[in-house]
Amino acid sequence: MSDPLSAAMHISSSGLRAQSERLRVVSENLANARSTGKAAGDDPYSRKTITFESEFDRAHQASMVKVKGIGTDKSPYTVEYEPGHPAADEDGYVKMPNVNVLMELADMRETNRSYEANLKVMTQAREMVMRDIALLRD
Amino acid sequence: MEPVFLTKLMSHNNDWLSVRQATIAENIANSNTPGFRSRDVEPFTSVISKTQLAMAATNSGHLGTVMEVAEPTDVKKGESWLVTHSGNSVSVEQELMKAGEVARNHALNTSISKSFHRMYLASLK
Repeated sequence: MSDPLSAAMHISSSGLRAQSERLRVVSENLANARSTGKAAGDDPYSRKTITFESEFDRAHQASMVKVKGIGTDKSPYTVEYEPGHPAADEDGYVKMPNVNVLMELADMRETNRSYEANLKVMTQAREMVMRDIALLRD
Repeated sequence: MEPVFLTKLMSHNNDWLSVRQATIAENIANSNTPGFRSRDVEPFTSVISKTQLAMAATNSGHLGTVMEVAEPTDVKKGESWLVTHSGNSVSVEQELMKAGEVARNHALNTSISKSFHRMYLASLK
């Protein structure tokens, strides 16, 4: 096994990367929460989902985390009555994205929490290394 | 043979703590991975009880007993604080508590070895 403390920092950084990718997806969903189609009856923006998987890293002999894939949410779109809209069908209904802002915000909070936890472990591993180095100093 | 076994014990314990820190990092990084089972290293007491006094060898190539390095093992189902619907059994709070424990013990170890070092230096002056 390579140096466990540097492995710890590498693992945490993989976690940070995964969580920031997740935050990107959340912001994409939030930004497009009202993005409709262009022509009449067109499908609007569909919510994106992100999944993680753990991947064994041979160099560090530990499981890192990586983004498995970004998919789309298959749940049905909501419709709103808005006859003047360019994307409205003949009955005057516009398909709206299946993005639930509250859900995205909750996801954002969770992302934040996980990011913080990863950062905390990384800082702690670094402090441990620094303490070891301080032994040599005096 | 080391005159003071304590320093060796401390460095061994520091090794164990760093393995544990790496395992905690692994758990936290995978805290949102579906199906990931939380892992922990075996307790230090069980690692230390498995090691015996090293036998003297005339050649470094001969078989001897070396201090084992701890290996991460799966946490039992009941010991985990939280199992989510996706089958992930990592509780971030639990992991952070473990990380705090590791940091505390490491600080203790390094400060003890520092004071030993001061004692050695004082005897030289």
